[in-house]
Amino acid sequence: MRLQDCTTNSATLALEILKKNNEKLNNIVTFVEPTIKGEGKLNNVPVVLKDNVNTKGILTTASCKILDNYVPVYNATIVDKIEKAGGQIIAKASMDELAMGGTNLTALTGPVKNPYDLNRISGGSSGGSAVAVASGAVPFAIGSDTGDSVRKPASFNGIVGVKPTYGRISRYGIIPYSSSLDHVGYFCTNVKDAATLLEVLAGRDDNDMTSSFEEVKEYSKELNSDIKGKKILVFSNVIEAISNKDVIESFNNLIEGLKKKGAIVENVSFDEKLMRAILPTYYIIANAEATANHSNLTGLLFGERLEGSSIDEIMIKSRSEGFGPWIKKRFVIGSYALKEDNQERVFRKAQKIRRLIVEDVMKKLSDADGLIAPAATGGAPLINSTSTNQMSDEYLVADNHMVIGNFTGCPSITLPMGYTEGLPIGVNLTCNPFKEQTMFDISFAIEEITGLADKVKEDF
Amino acid sequence: MNKEEIKDLALNIMFDVTDKEAEDIENEFKTLDKMLEFFDSIDTSNVEEMVYPFDDPTSYLRQDVTSKTISQNDAMSNVAKTKQGHVVVPKVVK
Amino acid sequence: MEYDVVVGIEIHLELTTNTKMFSGAPYKFKSEANTCTNEIDLGHPGTLPCVNMEAVKKAIMTCFALNLDIDKLIKFDRKNYYYSDLPKGFQITQQFHPIGKNGYIEIYVNGGYKKIRINRAHMEEDTAKQFHLYDETLIDFNRAGVPLLEIVSEPDIASGEEAALYVEKLRQTLDYLGVSDVKMEEGSLRCDVNVSIKPKGSNEFGTKVEVKNLNSIANVKDAIDFEANRQAELLEKGEKIVQETRRFDEKTMSTVSMRLKESSVDYKYFPEPNIFPIKIDDAWINSIKEAMPELPDAKSKRYLNEYKLSEYDTNLLLANKMMSSFFDEAMKSATNPKNLCNLLTSELVGLLQKDETPIEKSPVTPVNLAKLSNILDKGEISSKQAKEVLEEMLSGKDPETIINEKGIKQVSNQDEILKIVKEVLDENPQSIEDFKNGKDRALGFMVGQVMKKSKGQANPKMASELLTKELSER
Repeated sequence: MRLQDCTTNSATLALEILKKNNEKLNNIVTFVEPTIKGEGKLNNVPVVLKDNVNTKGILTTASCKILDNYVPVYNATIVDKIEKAGGQIIAKASMDELAMGGTNLTALTGPVKNPYDLNRISGGSSGGSAVAVASGAVPFAIGSDTGDSVRKPASFNGIVGVKPTYGRISRYGIIPYSSSLDHVGYFCTNVKDAATLLEVLAGRDDNDMTSSFEEVKEYSKELNSDIKGKKILVFSNVIEAISNKDVIESFNNLIEGLKKKGAIVENVSFDEKLMRAILPTYYIIANAEATANHSNLTGLLFGERLEGSSIDEIMIKSRSEGFGPWIKKRFVIGSYALKEDNQERVFRKAQKIRRLIVEDVMKKLSDADGLIAPAATGGAPLINSTSTNQMSDEYLVADNHMVIGNFTGCPSITLPMGYTEGLPIGVNLTCNPFKEQTMFDISFAIEEITGLADKVKEDF
Repeated sequence: MNKEEIKDLALNIMFDVTDKEAEDIENEFKTLDKMLEFFDSIDTSNVEEMVYPFDDPTSYLRQDVTSKTISQNDAMSNVAKTKQGHVVVPKVVK
Repeated sequence: MEYDVVVGIEIHLELTTNTKMFSGAPYKFKSEANTCTNEIDLGHPGTLPCVNMEAVKKAIMTCFALNLDIDKLIKFDRKNYYYSDLPKGFQITQQFHPIGKNGYIEIYVNGGYKKIRINRAHMEEDTAKQFHLYDETLIDFNRAGVPLLEIVSEPDIASGEEAALYVEKLRQTLDYLGVSDVKMEEGSLRCDVNVSIKPKGSNEFGTKVEVKNLNSIANVKDAIDFEANRQAELLEKGEKIVQETRRFDEKTMSTVSMRLKESSVDYKYFPEPNIFPIKIDDAWINSIKEAMPELPDAKSKRYLNEYKLSEYDTNLLLANKMMSSFFDEAMKSATNPKNLCNLLTSELVGLLQKDETPIEKSPVTPVNLAKLSNILDKGEISSKQAKEVLEEMLSGKDPETIINEKGIKQVSNQDEILKIVKEVLDENPQSIEDFKNGKDRALGFMVGQVMKKSKGQANPKMASELLTKELSER
């Protein structure tokens, strides 16, 4: 569904569709009656928000038990922006608990299904939002991306997933995961919409001390698929680790297409050791920051409070009941990483390695216009799949390379690239900081080459 | 890391873990150990920690003017137990 | 055995700003519970901190006043722990990069000046206020997030007396600076001390004991004196001093052990990821320095050296910021500082004390007091007359109006007074006799008669001189 297709009925219709589909897809936590609060680029557009976006007066749970009764008293900045532009919020979408996951199997409301195959995961953590767009219900949904949580589900669902530059979109009002890696991102079905949507969402917010002062351009007006002379780097470390033939073939075809359009395509290879360090580095930094960020979830001031005879008892009971076991595991690791005795060897070491990874990548990327690689190693895995080899390069590097976009803060986009056994596969493009125009331009060209704009799966 | 130490770690951040959960975390620590060994093999001498994605400082400071207050009702709206506009908790012993 | 007492003092200062350190919620002391908060102060999910410019400005002013080196890159860190008065589960503070380092302040003790070094000053946020009832605790988050400046001294303080002087000097300086209400009784100035003792002359420090709950400067001195003594007695008995936190009990004037906490809490300090380092430029810092009010030390020098006021008078004026403020304002148009000081501290203050009016609410304005002082200086009226005029000035009227209305003036015309002097002498032959017979009181009596005849308007000094001269010729 495209932004331009929206009419005065769209929001009501979309709400009906979401309700009907929820039985099979299980992607919505709260349905919201649409109201018009403004006028602008999002006139008549129904919008779905990931349930970590604070909506005043509307339940916001982050798919976590301890927040299953939390009703915010304020709006996230992006909610005000969306409504001011005429957008109508019609649902809060399921996610991995506290955004800590990549499958959307850890949600309080149960697993979210992939519309292409209900036995498969939607991917996460922004699974609910991805599926809302991929199932054709809405043209636009908000997600958040800390380690690829918008860009990976976009790949699994055959849609466009955008993670702009760090600080481009305000994080005020977004329930955090890892503050130095969190980005607000979004889903849609074509590049022109992606460009338009950034115009609405981006901009300086004084409430967010990491918010950028960079000018917001008219990305959609300036959109230009002429990529003659644009230097695009092919991420060799990822390609070499992928075994799925369909992915490799689609990718190679795409590269040929880019060359035909006049782009200068170059293979680039980063330090092997650093590439293998991406996932553990992410894991430690993300869990440490998350543990600290969620120290406010105690039941004392908001959320599910379990009674006790002391404040300690209340906090312990509420938190023991309120978090899933995978969250507890991550919090314990995170806390361990921050302990004074370990911090140097664990947390700070990870932060130093982050710098090494970023420097290695930026050395090459700053001389080019983009870095390109398949967004995933294949189609969406089965819900009941056997565990992957966690030490393989395929897992460490090819499955998790998009974290580089979070480490560097660089803008990064996933676009539909092809199919493998009927399942969508995506391509990921990362550009230099605040060069979203370049990112959209190259994406526009990619879209022309693949012809895969506006693909949705409405029957399942 | 044994189960007891893990339970202590968890308690330190205000939650209990079951025996099964502690076992699971124990395994996680084994993976962490491998990660840290791998880390040790990467030379980071003279490398500064990366705290933010960008190194540029900001120069923005907020004007000292009231800009955001919420009513007492709103402040207490999510609190499980209140009394005369205050949050109520069991007696805190210092 | 003689011991050296070693004391370090930690002060928490509530900065006077309109809004909180990291949020735009207002703060008014004694507001109704939870009416001065917003989602940020309550630590709601998804909120982000936003740094208050005025708090930074006041921190910078304090650094200048305490001779601290200012770090032009402002960085914040998280101090993580769980407690009911800490909504986020961490406090945003400046552990690794305090805004000010390596400063000092001087105290006047034992007839000389002693430098007390200050290790650091850093910004952080205050916690909520808790009220403990019989079986429950009520929490008010109005105070949560209020800007605090923590000032930590080096262990240069050697006694309870020095400690009290240090705290008072800080209090006075910061009061003049206008960065805080500095009222210990209201909690805008909080003081914790670390006390240890060591054998006299030894270089090895003893075990530190922390003492909290000091509600006045007197408490500071008493607590340290008691604690030093307690530690000495323990050592004399051959016992060891336990590293712990004690609280000062005002009723028994002693320090009491608080519940023993675990050896040390691990706060897992790490840099605050939601606030980029903030660069403050030289231009702003200089403008802050230039706009700083004059501090007590500088005022003291001015009063002693320029105005030639006595130490006693200087201290009187400086004891109260409002007093010296009033004085300085009046001095803008006054000609004689000694006169002015006298009128202010000996006369006006006395009058105002009658109904407890503070000097800043004085119905007599600085301008008018200066006018009165100048009139007195010129000899147009006598000091006795001045007192009367001053009392009338409480109505708000200026001195010239009152003098005209009442026809008060001091006659300093020699001929006029001589005329009256001669009259008095003619009317009082007995007094002339008494005077010649050596009775000193006779002169005073005759001066009195001159004053009476002139309706109090004769210049008494001149009257006395003329009488003496006249008497010598009779």
